[in-house]
Order: sequence, then C-alpha cells, then structure tokens
Amino acid sequence: MILVRRFLRNKRGVTPVLSNVLLTVVAVAAMSLAASATYVITDNLHQIMGERVIAEDVWFTSDGISIYLRNTGKVAVEVSSVYVNFTSQSFTPLTLEVWEHGWLNVTFSWDAGGLYHMNIVTSRGTKIVDYYRVPS
Amino acid sequence: MWTIIEYLRKFRRSSRGVSNVIVIVLSLVILVIIASNVILWSYQMNQLDWEKMQENLTVSNVVNVNITYSAWLTIQTEYQVNLGSRMSGTYIDTKAIDGDWETFQEESSPPTYRLDINGTFIIDLSTYSLSLIHTIEVQMRYRTSDTLEKLYLKAYNWVSNTYSDSDFNNTLGHTPSGYWDYYAIKFTTEWRDYVRDDGAMIIKLHDEKNDAVRTNLEVDFLGVRVVTSGAFFTFKNNGSLTVHVVSLWIINSAIHNHYDVNVFINSGENGTYLLGNAQLPSKPYFVKAVTERGNIAVYSPN
Repeated sequence: MILVRRFLRNKRGVTPVLSNVLLTVVAVAAMSLAASATYVITDNLHQIMGERVIAEDVWFTSDGISIYLRNTGKVAVEVSSVYVNFTSQSFTPLTLEVWEHGWLNVTFSWDAGGLYHMNIVTSRGTKIVDYYRVPS
Repeated sequence: MWTIIEYLRKFRRSSRGVSNVIVIVLSLVILVIIASNVILWSYQMNQLDWEKMQENLTVSNVVNVNITYSAWLTIQTEYQVNLGSRMSGTYIDTKAIDGDWETFQEESSPPTYRLDINGTFIIDLSTYSLSLIHTIEVQMRYRTSDTLEKLYLKAYNWVSNTYSDSDFNNTLGHTPSGYWDYYAIKFTTEWRDYVRDDGAMIIKLHDEKNDAVRTNLEVDFLGVRVVTSGAFFTFKNNGSLTVHVVSLWIINSAIHNHYDVNVFINSGENGTYLLGNAQLPSKPYFVKAVTERGNIAVYSPN
C-alpha cells in the first residue's frame, strides 16, 4: 500500500514517458496510414495489371455492331466506354468475370465496305483498339 | 558475462529509438505489401504475356464430316400401356422388321376407344456422344384394324416435362392404310430437350381422338437412331507450350457461330477435334480457334 502511494506521488520521469508514448502513437498512426494508402494504391495497380481482354469476333449486324469479348485476365472486367471512329457510342452493359465471354452489343449505323476504328475501354482503363472493315 | 548482462539491462531501460523501431517495422510491412501486390503480380502477368507470345497455333484443315446413322436402338423393356391393353406378343417382337409383332388393343370403354402406350429407349452415350449428335430419328412399322384411326408419335421433353411433338419435322401424325405402314419422324435442332443426360428417351404412341371402333394395333418395329455429323478440325501446335483451345468459330457473311470447346494440344503435336452438330457453310467462310491465353488462329479454305 505504501509502495503504491509512493509510486503515485513520485513525479520524476513523467515527461520522458509521455514523450515516448506520444512519439510511439504518432509513429504507429502515421505508418498505419502509410501502410493503408500503400495497400489501396498497390491493390488498384494489382487489378489494372491483371486485366486482359480480347475481342474474339466482330459482327456487323442490322442492329449495330456485336463484339465478342473474352476475359483472359485475372480480374473481372467491366466495359465502360466504346468509341467507334473516336466517337462514344451506346452499348449494352457488359461485365465479364474471369474466363467469362460474351457479346458486347454496340448501337451504331455502319456502311457496307466501311473501315471503322474501334476502341473498347474498361473501367480500369484497359483498351482494345483495332480497325475493322465491314464486308462489302 | 557481467558486462553482457549490464548491456542488456541498459538496453531494457533505454526507451530511446522505440518509435524508430516501429517506423522500421511498419516500413518493412509496406515493402512487403508493395513487393507482393506489385512486383510479384507484375512478374506473374509478365509470365502470362510471355507465354501468350510463345504460343503458335495454326488451324491446318477443316472439313465437313458426312452424316452417319447409328444402328436402330430398340426398347429394352416392355411398353407401358396407359390406355388400352396388350393383346399378344412382347416387346421383343418390336425390335426388328421380321414379321413378328406385338399387338395392342384400344381400351374398352365404348364409345370412346383410346390407345396410349410409351416405351423407354436408351442411347449409348459411350458410343454416341451427345456433342456429336446432329439429330434423332424415330421409325415405326405397324398395322391397324381400322383405317379411320390416326396415330401420333411424341417424345418426352425433359425440360418442359411434357410429351410433345413440336420439335418433330412432322407433327401431322400418320393415317394407317390397313396394310403394313412406316411412320417415321425426325427431330429438329432442339432434339437435346428430349434426351436425358444419361441418354434416355421416352417415346409415346397414341391415337388422335375418341372413336366408335375398338382398334387393334400391331407393332412390328419401333426404334430410334442417332444421326451424327460435324466439322473436323486439324490443329498444329508449333509453339513450345501446350495449347488449350477454348473456343471455335465458323463464320461467313451470314453466320457467326460460336462453340465452346476444350481441346489440349501438346507442344509440337497435331491435334484433331470433331465439332459435332456443326456444318461448314458454303465458301467463302473462315474458322477461328481461340486459346485460353487469348491467341486466335484463323483458317480460310482456298
């Protein structure tokens, strides 16, 4: 009991302890923030690097242009924009899980024999860009 | 010894540098995150791209495989009589066109005489793979005592769980002549709904409607047969890695037919694949083979 009272009355060394504790808290907080930010940034990079999509087929139909996409990467892919001749076009939403494949239907009025530059952009910024000629 | 103990005591008492240690440890954590999430992943994806570049698949030939017919597959157990009765003979007598027959009679409830029988036929899937089947044919040789009857063949649709003839080439039924008649039907492209995954098919035979004459039906033969056809692909893997073909396309100006396949071709080897239930269109056309890594091999006949 006496020892406890002495300990409570003893004020020597309080400042160094407080400073150490504060420094530790600041260091932990700062580094936790840094670690979280690093995780978020690298996870995003990780997903961008894992994206791979190919266009298996392009079919010019009476309704527009149908493009058959296959996800050959390691993450799910969502098509966010389609450009034909550098102009944004409307399309049916398409999300492909890993190894999934399906038709992307683009509303576009094409001309027989025409050559079109197509740019399909995913939500992470991956692009499939190529020229496609319509059969005459 | 005492010196070492003294140093350890000093080390335990000293609080200086604790935050430095924490910073270093957490910096190491950050480095591990970066290494695992970026560097290792980058290495994996680079390897994937490198493997894709190493692939070298060519489609060296594609030809149509002629339509072939299986032997007639006949019933293995006695027919189930739903309306009417079995008069004579057994199901054995319906397995061949040989002059031995099984006789059924319409039910006895005048003036509404009806007949309804069905039988189960099994397609041996170890011999006739479902993927190769183009269509299925059903044929019956029969004779009735009443020429005013009209008979209908139907098959059990395992998807809609009903007997149907909507996917037959002929849904008009067959009117008997009083002599031995042949009644044959062929499924359309929707035959798959009528074949269970184990190859079982249920064929039903019934008359058209109520009538005042109690008819005898003599069945000399009832059987089904499988029609197979397809497109035969020949691949050549010139690369140093095994190729996994996951998709085939047959394309001309009117069609863009896609088929999911699962073909592995070892490095340096030729591979073949029979794409069942597919026919090459008239020229000009071209075919594509897509690999799991994302390469596309294109073949166009001269």
